[in-house]
Amino acid sequence: MKILLVEDSVRLQRSLSAGLKRHGFSVDQAFDGEQALSYIRHNRYDTILLDLVLPKIDGLNVLSTLRNEGNNDQVLILSANDQTEDRIRGLDLGADDYMVKPFSFDELVSRLRALNRRHSGIKNPVLDISGVKIDTVSRLVSFNEQVVNLTPHEFKLLDYLAHRRGRVFSHDQLIDQLYDAASYVTRNAVEAHISSLRKRLKESGAPGLVKTRRGFGYLVE
Amino acid sequence: MKSIRSRLNLTIISTLVLILSLTAVFLYFRISQHVIKVYDSALYDKANALISLTELDEEGLEFDFSEDGVMSEFELGEHAHYYQLWELGRDLLIKSPSLMDSDLPLTGIALGKHHFADLTLPDGRAGRLIEINFVPRVEMDDEEEIVEIPQPKPISMVYARERKKLDDTLFAIGVTIFSIVVIVLLATALLVWHLVGRGLLPLSTLARQVSEIDESSLSARLRQPGNQSLEITPIVDQLNHLLQRLQSAFEREKRFSSNVAHELRTPLSELRTLSEVAQMMPEDRQQLIKFFKDVGEISNQMEKVVITMLELARSDAGLLHSDPEEIKLSAICDSVWQMAINDYGFGKKLVKHIPDGLIISTDREKFSMILSNIFVNAISYSPEEAEIELSVEIHSENLVIKVKNMATDLRPEDIVHMKDRFWRKNKSQGETSHSGLGLTLVYALARILKLDISLDLDNQSIFMITISGVPLVVE
Repeated sequence: MKILLVEDSVRLQRSLSAGLKRHGFSVDQAFDGEQALSYIRHNRYDTILLDLVLPKIDGLNVLSTLRNEGNNDQVLILSANDQTEDRIRGLDLGADDYMVKPFSFDELVSRLRALNRRHSGIKNPVLDISGVKIDTVSRLVSFNEQVVNLTPHEFKLLDYLAHRRGRVFSHDQLIDQLYDAASYVTRNAVEAHISSLRKRLKESGAPGLVKTRRGFGYLVE
Repeated sequence: MKSIRSRLNLTIISTLVLILSLTAVFLYFRISQHVIKVYDSALYDKANALISLTELDEEGLEFDFSEDGVMSEFELGEHAHYYQLWELGRDLLIKSPSLMDSDLPLTGIALGKHHFADLTLPDGRAGRLIEINFVPRVEMDDEEEIVEIPQPKPISMVYARERKKLDDTLFAIGVTIFSIVVIVLLATALLVWHLVGRGLLPLSTLARQVSEIDESSLSARLRQPGNQSLEITPIVDQLNHLLQRLQSAFEREKRFSSNVAHELRTPLSELRTLSEVAQMMPEDRQQLIKFFKDVGEISNQMEKVVITMLELARSDAGLLHSDPEEIKLSAICDSVWQMAINDYGFGKKLVKHIPDGLIISTDREKFSMILSNIFVNAISYSPEEAEIELSVEIHSENLVIKVKNMATDLRPEDIVHMKDRFWRKNKSQGETSHSGLGLTLVYALARILKLDISLDLDNQSIFMITISGVPLVVE
C-alpha cells in the first residue's frame, strides 16, 4: 500500500514514515502543499495522509485541487484542528477520513487498513484464497493452520495482488505501487521477490496463487 | 417573580380602589347626612305643626290635632305616625291613638331644644323621632273679657314615624354609589391594564430580545423597540455595546483556547508517534537516537511556549514588576544579539549605530527578553545574509531604539495582527521554533517597563520596531 505523507513537521514526518514502513507501507514524503500536488500529479497513491496547515498551499486547497483534477486517491486528513466544522469542511471537500492530532499510531494504521479494505471492496481483514489465509492485521500468511514465513517484501507483494484479485500488474506498476520514491527497486528485484514468494508458498504445500501473464505481468486469480 | 406590569397594575388598581372607596364612603356619608337632615327637617316641621295646634286657654290645654278627622295619620293603621306629650317632662298629657298602650321614649331635654333619634316603633317598624320641649301658645280672645289663664308649663313632645322611605332612599343612594364605584373601577382597571401594557411594550419587547440571546447568538444586536425614547434608547445602546464587548471577549477566549490547543497538539502528536513508533523498533539504535533528539527538541519548544505563556499570565495578573538598574546599552545589545545568533544561527549580521557609553536605567532581565524576541524575529524572518540595523535616537532624558530588517513576506495589513497571541504569518509549524507569542510578550514587558512599542513596514518591505521612552542615565 503506497502512501503520500504530507506533513510540514520534519519530526512527525520522520517518526510516522518510519512506523508506517515498519507496517509494510511504502511512504513518500511531502513537506508543503506545492510539493504534495507535484507528487500526486506524478504518482499513484493508495492513500494520502494530509495535514491541513501547510506552507505554500494549505491542506484543504491541496484536497480541493486534487479532487477538481479528477484524482480519486483516498485522503485521510491528520490535523490539529479539532472543531466539528473543520472535520465537516474536510470531509465535504472529499476526504475519506479525518484524525485529530494527537492520535494513536496504531489507530492510524488500522484506519489505513480499513480504507484499503473499503477501496478493494473486501471487508474481511483475513483473506482466504484457495485455503491460503492472508491476515492483513497480524501480517501473517498461513495454509492448513501452518504459518508460511514470508519476508516483508514478499508479504507486501502477496497482500497487494490478493486485494486486487484478477487484475494484472506489470513490474513497473508493482514498483510504483509498492515502493516509495526513495527506494531503488529494479525489475529483477521484483522478479526475485515473486519467485521467492512462490517458492515459500509451494514449500508449505499451498497452491501457487501468483500467476504470470507473459508480456503483461503478475496476478492472483 | 412578578412582572413590572403586574406590579404597576396591582399598585395603581389598589390605589384606585382605596381612593374610590374612600370617596364613595365620604360621598355616601355626606349624601346620607343631607337626606337625613331633610328627613329630620320634615319631622321638625311636622312637630312644629303639632306645636302650633297646641293651645292653652282658660279651659286649659287644647290639642287641636287630636280632634277626630284632623290628622288621620295618627290613627291606628299600617303607616301610622305617633306622638306623645308630657307636661314638665313627666305627666302624660296626650298620646296618639296609634300608640294604644305603648309609649314613646322620653329622654328629657331643655326648653326650646329638640333632638332626633332612631327607634323601633310600637308596631315593630324602624322609625325616627323628634323630641322637642316647648311652651304652649296661649290663646287670647280679644272680644271676650279678660279671664285668668293658667301659667303655661313646658311640654315635652315626641313625634315619631316610620323611616322606611329614608332607609330606602339611603339604600338606593348606597347601591348607586357602589355600582358607580364598581363600574368605574372595572373600567379603570381595564384602562390601566391596557395603558400600562402599552407603556411597557418597549420594555417587554426588549426583555424578549434579551432573553433570546445566549452564548451561541452573541452576534445578535438589540433593536430599538418602537420609537426612540429617553428611557429605552440608552439601555439598548449600552446593552449592544456590552454585547459587542462580550462577543469580542468570547471570540478572543475561544481563539486563545483553540490556539493553545493547536499549538500543543502538534508537539504532543509528535511525542506520541515517536514513543509508539520507537517501541516498534527497539533494535534500530540509529533511529532511536534520532527519535530521542527529536524528543529533546520538542520538549524545548514546549518549554518555551509554556514559559512564555506563564510570563504573559503573570503580566496579565500584574505580578511582574520592574527592577531598574543602570545598564550599558551597547553591551546588553551585543550580549543579547550573540545569544540570538547562537540559537538561530542563520549567518545574519547586526549593524549597530549605538554610541559607546550610553547608559540606560531599566530592568535588565525584562529588557533583555524584549531585545531577544525582537532580534530572534528579525533573524528568523529576514532573508538570508540580511543585515539587521540597530540604531538609537537621543531625546533629552530618554532614548528611542529602532530595529530594522527586511521582511519580504510581511504585508501592511499584517502589522495590526502582529501583537495578537499566537499570530504567525505562516501558520504552518514546519519551522517549529516560533509559537507566535514573542511580540505579545514584548508588548507585555514593555508595558511593565513603561516603554512604547510601535511597528512599521515601509514600501521597500523594511520592517521596523521602535522602542520609545527608554530612560537615559545622564552622567
